[in-house]
Amino acid sequence: MADKMDLLDVEVWDGNMAASQAMRQAQIDVVAAYPITPSTPVVENYGMFEANGYIDGVFVMVESEHAAMSACIGAAAAGGRVATATSSQGFALMVETLYQASGMRLPIILNVVNRALAAPLNVNGDHSDMYLGRDSGWIQFNAYNAQDAYDLNLIAFKVAEDHKVRLPAMIHQDGFMTSHTAEGVHTLSDETAYKFIGDYKPMNAMLDFEKPATYGVQTEEDWHFEHKSRQHNDLMTKVNPVIQEVFDAFEKETGRKFDFVTNHKLDDADVAIVAMGTTVDTAMMVADQLRAEGKKVGVLGLRVIRPFPFEKLAAALSNVKAVCCMDRSAPGGTVGMLYNEICGAMYNSGNHPVITGYVYGLGGRDMTVEYLKGIFADGQANADAGKATTSLQQFIGVRGPKLSFL
Amino acid sequence: MANKGWDEFDAGAILFTFNEKVDNIATTLAEDRPYSPSSSFTASVGDWRIEKPIFNKDYCIDCQFCWIYCPDVSIIARDKKMIGIDFDHCKGCGICVEVCPTNPKSLLMFTEHLDDDACLAGWPEKDEKEK
Amino acid sequence: MSEIKKIKNLKEFSTSADRFEGANLLCPGCAHSIIVREVLNATNDDLVIGASTGCLEVCTAVYPYTSWDASWIHIGFENGSTAVAGAEAMYKSLKKKGRLPQPDRTPKFVTFAGDGATYDIGFQWISGCFERGHDMMYVCLDNEVYANTGGQRSSSTPVGSSTTTAPAGSTSYGEKKEKKDMMSIMAAHQSPYVAQVAPNKWKDMVKKIQKGFAVEGPVFINAVSPCTTEWKFDPADTMMLTDLSTDSLVFPLYEIIDNNELNITYRPKNVVPVIDYLGAQGRFKHLFKPQNKHILDGWQKRVDNNWDKLQRREEARV
Repeated sequence: MADKMDLLDVEVWDGNMAASQAMRQAQIDVVAAYPITPSTPVVENYGMFEANGYIDGVFVMVESEHAAMSACIGAAAAGGRVATATSSQGFALMVETLYQASGMRLPIILNVVNRALAAPLNVNGDHSDMYLGRDSGWIQFNAYNAQDAYDLNLIAFKVAEDHKVRLPAMIHQDGFMTSHTAEGVHTLSDETAYKFIGDYKPMNAMLDFEKPATYGVQTEEDWHFEHKSRQHNDLMTKVNPVIQEVFDAFEKETGRKFDFVTNHKLDDADVAIVAMGTTVDTAMMVADQLRAEGKKVGVLGLRVIRPFPFEKLAAALSNVKAVCCMDRSAPGGTVGMLYNEICGAMYNSGNHPVITGYVYGLGGRDMTVEYLKGIFADGQANADAGKATTSLQQFIGVRGPKLSFL
Repeated sequence: MANKGWDEFDAGAILFTFNEKVDNIATTLAEDRPYSPSSSFTASVGDWRIEKPIFNKDYCIDCQFCWIYCPDVSIIARDKKMIGIDFDHCKGCGICVEVCPTNPKSLLMFTEHLDDDACLAGWPEKDEKEK
Repeated sequence: MSEIKKIKNLKEFSTSADRFEGANLLCPGCAHSIIVREVLNATNDDLVIGASTGCLEVCTAVYPYTSWDASWIHIGFENGSTAVAGAEAMYKSLKKKGRLPQPDRTPKFVTFAGDGATYDIGFQWISGCFERGHDMMYVCLDNEVYANTGGQRSSSTPVGSSTTTAPAGSTSYGEKKEKKDMMSIMAAHQSPYVAQVAPNKWKDMVKKIQKGFAVEGPVFINAVSPCTTEWKFDPADTMMLTDLSTDSLVFPLYEIIDNNELNITYRPKNVVPVIDYLGAQGRFKHLFKPQNKHILDGWQKRVDNNWDKLQRREEARV
């Protein structure tokens, strides 16, 4: 029997430790992993737990990230609780297997410590890896800080393994900015955390020899569309009710309330910033400072990235006059993912605010209070004019001549 | 099958070979297994053939070469005897004929549309020249 | 507990209940299924089977049909090995935790892959699995080409073979590179058992498979799989081709135990000249042109050298 840890009510953990502690408490059956900056400590911490008797399950250090996810898929199909962690290049390497995991409807938890994608090579935090996996068919949660990283891991296991869902789930956190920043994290005891997630309930397990199952068939033009449609339908209709149930149960257990989108003072705001990751926390702090000066500003944090919360997001932004979308990923010749998806949601809602976009923070470049004040000011100018007073896409925080497009 | 909608499949395109629990598949003969419609056992590739193997019991010594070298599990062996061919699964490759050691052979290929009894009636004699 | 299935002779073997079904989409005469049948029938243990993308996978698990009477998983091209390794890790974990659905059963983990998946794109994955020492068997179905996609060269393709990406033409005799020695590579991973097998020598194959299933750790089996479509011979002649491959010593049958000793397990009564083996296949047809005689000579020399080397290793007990 694995040893239990007696945690303090508030531990000082960075995002990586928060994730690895949640993983320890989940009593995972198989972790197959590979190290890559800045997610390496998740794997190292787990290894240390294992070496000191805190883990009952099997911990396999494989030879690449693609192998990590491949082994996770084999283990999940065999029938047990499975998780791993990666970033950036490793995430890119395992992209093929991400689609395979979701197509095969296997609950697997992946901690993605967001980091820039080469070239040029960069180990610091931005959202390029997250954006690469957006169509992979995984449920995707966003942590703004270490507390979120801990909480969302516990929530993700419960959502992914639900028999109505049976889909893999990612928990994203900013590389270095969250993963290596220590904060006070409110904990659950080992017993409470495990009880919250519950036992793993097998479904179509390969290790059930009385009911052999064939996983990973080929479906050609007669069948493929139907299978992908089924997957999409389940993502669009079956997942959100379960996420809501689990959010509610989590609030009951801890008092911490999660929602699909974080609505920070949007109800009477003229200007809203939409962001993900650590920028949400900073933007909320800046919004509060500006509110104290009488400015009507708010922040929308995207907590559940996939399935994309079209309606909840549009509802939260239903009163604003200007929206500033912040994309932390090199856009590759177009507008950012958040910009696109917010425009799509708002165009089809009753409210048509001015929507502009910002590309920022690539490769770990800081998003400062001053920059955010500038963005809120842009938004206010747009709100007052009733149209965009700046280009639709601006690069913030990069040296050299001002970069703006569209 | 062909008209099943997206909502009628098992999620993840998982297939189950059997309809019911099987105690020990390895020791249960095919005729006793509860195959589901998803098992290819229930399908047929007989229409692939342009030639078919005809089995002549009179010459067979039950050596089982045909059983082991048939790629398509189409030689039916029971109680160490060769008892026939599964024409739903036989693709007409002709390996069974090639490996049959008897003289004359106990299996020969004939054009698909010929009558089985007529084939048996016209079986060749022992080949004296063969070593 | 796991018992080794008694298979005294072929008549006894024929009482096996196949766990691989017909009405799959493999070519008539395909050696893959002959090999798979011999492997699966060698044991009565429960099986968790994996497959890499390739002919076997693509022809036996096309929706809405499966030809497998055991749990089976295919993920992709590179990772048939890792898929089964993951399942084996889960088995070990659930066993430790007392959560196996049928705790008294002793399943065997085996994965099948072509030479393309094994020698090329899945090389890292099989290396990782073997280095980690998973208790599994890896059977490479070696037809020396990417058969499923129409016959492109792999690093298993032998010299002089004409493939679609290294075709014979007016200025080329086909494949220029020598075949990778996968057996030595896998033995060097400290595998407890690696063996080369051929479906014609069923008794040799079954003995080796049983040995492989009985030993603990990762086992590598390289099985020659003559391909009627890509090697270009009549489907009925698959076993004849296999006989030529083993009797010409192009595919010598041997085993390496603990990377420590090598045993040759088949010595043909009459060794057949290599040109008989090459001449029976369309993919080597162009080698019989006068300008390519040196390639044929090279072939015989290479096979002779290799056989000599195997014998020396066997004698020296290394």
